[in-house]
Amino acid sequence: MPDETFDLAGCLERVHRRDQAAARELVEHLYPLVIRIVRAHLPRRVAEEDLSQEIFLKMFTRIEQYKGSVPFSHWVSRIAVTTCIDQLRAQKRRPEFRWADLSESEAGVLDSVLTNERDVAPDDALAASELVHKLLDQLKPEDQLVIQLLDLEQKSIAEISETTGWKQSLVKVRAFRARRKLKKLFEELKRMEKS
Amino acid sequence: MNTPDSQWQRLAAAARQVRDERDTAAPSGFATRVAAHAFARVEQPFSALFARFSWRALGFASLLALVSVAANYSSISALVSSSDDDSASSEIVNEIVNPS
Repeated sequence: MPDETFDLAGCLERVHRRDQAAARELVEHLYPLVIRIVRAHLPRRVAEEDLSQEIFLKMFTRIEQYKGSVPFSHWVSRIAVTTCIDQLRAQKRRPEFRWADLSESEAGVLDSVLTNERDVAPDDALAASELVHKLLDQLKPEDQLVIQLLDLEQKSIAEISETTGWKQSLVKVRAFRARRKLKKLFEELKRMEKS
Repeated sequence: MNTPDSQWQRLAAAARQVRDERDTAAPSGFATRVAAHAFARVEQPFSALFARFSWRALGFASLLALVSVAANYSSISALVSSSDDDSASSEIVNEIVNPS
């Protein structure tokens, strides 16, 4: 968690005066926040350090535009989220989801989820996590982000709205659309499994 | 009921059990590098912008000049030949008026 005793207002003031040491302190203070967002939404073939650097550079370029209407951490997380979405969009084609591409343990977890009503065994949590990310890869970047925040990070609609800057109604629409797509995907997977 | 929604929720619940134990502190040198890059970027905006746009403007103007010459080539060449005729006729008039 970011350091509670950090003097953010003073640091921002010094950054405005072009104090490089203050800029370093600001990056170090915000890094945990940014890296969590980056790791949760990191596109394939992108290094997390490169993406974090891009986010911080955008932050410094736009810092004059920050008017204090939202907490600074929310403002930065919105930059991080939009940068991740832009990167995900740049990937363009999403790989098609195929049983054949799953590892043995991922296929086992998927099979068990589709065929019985038991919870996934704790030993299979890692395989389930990999599987979830492959399934999320099938969604549009914005929908992917909403489901990730809602179902994996268990954030509320209001919190997602604060993090992304999207209206709550838009977050709900995206969540609905993403769930519908996931539902279709599960039905398709079940059909493929039977055939 | 084993509905697609419950299937997804069970998978997500299992995925939530995986804790990300990776360090969240900035790697050594990262903050210094980013701060240096950020200020270097902000310090040269006007001159860099001017240089970039003036080169583009020069390129565009040259292209425009070439296109206009090509489009008006026939009228330019006609003008040149008619000015040649004019100078020839003025030489004849000059000879008649001043025979010496």
